[in-house]
Amino acid sequence: MKKPMIFSEFFKNNGVVLGSILFFLVAFWIIFLILLPQISMLDYSLHPNPLNLDAGERADEYTLKNYKYLIFGPEGASDAFNKVDLMVFVRTIIAAMAVTVMNLILCYPLAYYLGQSKGTGFVRLLVVMLIVPYWINEILRAFALRIIFAPSDNGLINGIMMKMGMIDQPYDFINADIALYAGLGYAYILLMLFPMYNVIESLDRNQIEAARDMGASWTRIHRRVVIPHAKPGIASGMTMVFMLSAGALAAPQVLGGTSSLWFTQLVYQWFNGTLNWQAGAAYAIVLLVASIVIVLFFMKIFKVNMGDIGK
Amino acid sequence: MKSNILFGRIALGVYFLIFFGYLIGPLVVMGMTAFNSAAFPSITPWQCFTYEWFGELFKDERILNGIKNSFIVGFGTVILSVSIGLAASLVLTQVWAKWRSTYYTVIIAPILIPGVVIGISTLVFWRKVSDSLGGVAFMNNGLFLTILGQSTFIASYCMLVFVARLQRFDPGLTEAALDLGASHTQAFRKILLPFMRPAIASAAVLAFLASFENYNTTTFTFGSYPTLTIELSQMVRYGINPSISALAVIIVAITVFGALAVEVFRRRSRLKAGEIKPAKGLPSWLFGNIATILLVLLSFTVIAMVSTAQSYSPQQCKADFKEARDIETRLKIEALQAARAAANAEATAASGATTDEPVEQGGSSGAFGGVFAPTNLEDAAGQGGDESSSGAAPASPFGGVFAPTNLEGASGTGDSETAPAAPASPFGSVFDPTNLEDSSGTSGN
Repeated sequence: MKKPMIFSEFFKNNGVVLGSILFFLVAFWIIFLILLPQISMLDYSLHPNPLNLDAGERADEYTLKNYKYLIFGPEGASDAFNKVDLMVFVRTIIAAMAVTVMNLILCYPLAYYLGQSKGTGFVRLLVVMLIVPYWINEILRAFALRIIFAPSDNGLINGIMMKMGMIDQPYDFINADIALYAGLGYAYILLMLFPMYNVIESLDRNQIEAARDMGASWTRIHRRVVIPHAKPGIASGMTMVFMLSAGALAAPQVLGGTSSLWFTQLVYQWFNGTLNWQAGAAYAIVLLVASIVIVLFFMKIFKVNMGDIGK
Repeated sequence: MKSNILFGRIALGVYFLIFFGYLIGPLVVMGMTAFNSAAFPSITPWQCFTYEWFGELFKDERILNGIKNSFIVGFGTVILSVSIGLAASLVLTQVWAKWRSTYYTVIIAPILIPGVVIGISTLVFWRKVSDSLGGVAFMNNGLFLTILGQSTFIASYCMLVFVARLQRFDPGLTEAALDLGASHTQAFRKILLPFMRPAIASAAVLAFLASFENYNTTTFTFGSYPTLTIELSQMVRYGINPSISALAVIIVAITVFGALAVEVFRRRSRLKAGEIKPAKGLPSWLFGNIATILLVLLSFTVIAMVSTAQSYSPQQCKADFKEARDIETRLKIEALQAARAAANAEATAASGATTDEPVEQGGSSGAFGGVFAPTNLEDAAGQGGDESSSGAAPASPFGGVFAPTNLEGASGTGDSETAPAAPASPFGSVFDPTNLEDSSGTSGN
């Protein structure tokens, strides 16, 4: 199997029938499910909405109008920039980063513990316990947090605190966005844990022993031995959590306050409320490109390869 | 040194408690709300233990329809994404080394693309294809779009599972089969496929679960076939009642049951293979395994719950609770009434003083029918406004309403007082507070 990218060799290796089935499936996936939809979404976002044309504008011509709208807002508006949408965008990105870092801090000790302990029944059970919540619906998980944070005496925390007399008015966790951040962290925490667990598990315990015998302190062992080894896992965990929480829709819809939106909710509104798909596609592209750029930027800083992701 | 270790242990324990509390606590709380009779899912005013929400759940047409759609979508997604994932993983080892990382990046990308973007791009693309072909109905069908959209990224998950398994495959086996005269298809069916079977099974389960719980992609593609997740999101957003929690309990129970069963099964096969030894002092059917014990406990709980659900009725408790709450409400109302009576007494004294003043004013000048309505009394302002506009012809110099805050009755008396007053009002200007648009509208007439 040296250079079977040339088709004849590919078919020779796999046989005609099997080879063409494999080829057809992979080609269908890459072309019709991955590439063309993204390209057509880009194309879509560069067209004006046919129901919303400016004077002299044609529906089939290219325009940057939808992107301009995100930055400058409607023409003739009092503000120079579309402050509302831009604020939502910035907030989404920053909050997603914060959630990612929070998850990293929360997961690292457990990943280390699980990865370094021998695979006893107890540890295996812990892993099962970790996986179970992940198979529960995203909506239901957000809903579970809503029950806890509900902003009246129905909410668990408010109910308990009011009963204990710590507060007399329910605290509005929803509008303070505490519920949202807790929900986002909750939704993707395992995607942070498992990649880290996998790489730490592959770390030879003798290395840590050796470092300890040489007199390295506890922090130094982590900084110089464990973290460099776990870097690909940490990177892939952080990438996934960041991308998914920036692109999350369920948690913001269920747990978000009335005054603060998540960027995906704007996209959702364009599609299901305003029915301006072109603008929605433009917003989605901005989200996609921004998150990819941010991820690549951080991968460059921390010197991680794309191939490490997903391992 | 010893205290240091002890401290470390305590810190680890606390940390575990926080982590698992965060992870499992919300699910436990949600599970408990399914058994509380309060109409809003909550446990903090605990009312009565009840099973009614489960009954409610199975009566809900939309939920049942959603489950049906979810199964159709899940089935389609499993078939499509498992076969694509398998093909992609087989191709991965054969792609020209130079292109391998590009190829890998492309097929791993769907995991990282936000689900929202995948949903939108699928919708937009197939809409375009259908339009350019002159409107092909099935391409705008919700099931078709949802299956394709979900398979886009679920195939990547499956691919990862297969790649992991393929690393342990010995290609010599296939080569041997080919040398012995098997066709490629035969070698695939008899050698590779049996080897991949465990991976196919776990990829299929993974794909089904991922499809079943997907929301972000489906919410753009479902069309007229809402899946269970979509229905749940509608219920959560627009009308919450604990039957959602009941559904969650069922899903959690099935998941835990499945996970434990897999764990027990795995343990058993490892035990047979002699990799581990059974613990001493426990009956052999338990294998000394925590998972088995939990599994048995869980089964007992479910059986016990289902059987008590037939006979248990929370009516008495509910009646008691209602009574207790009625008493509480009555006490509250009485307290409120007492407070209001006190406030009333004060207010009438105050308003008695103020109502005199406008009558004098009106008598002397009749200059304006000013309505000094306090904020949040829209009624009063509206009446005042009406009166002042009609007052131009016959009577009413002013529709002056000096209503004390929060006393709607007072505004009424304000009106009746002003009605019989002197004729000829020059203008029915209404000095309303800013947030009363109604009255300002009528005064313009």
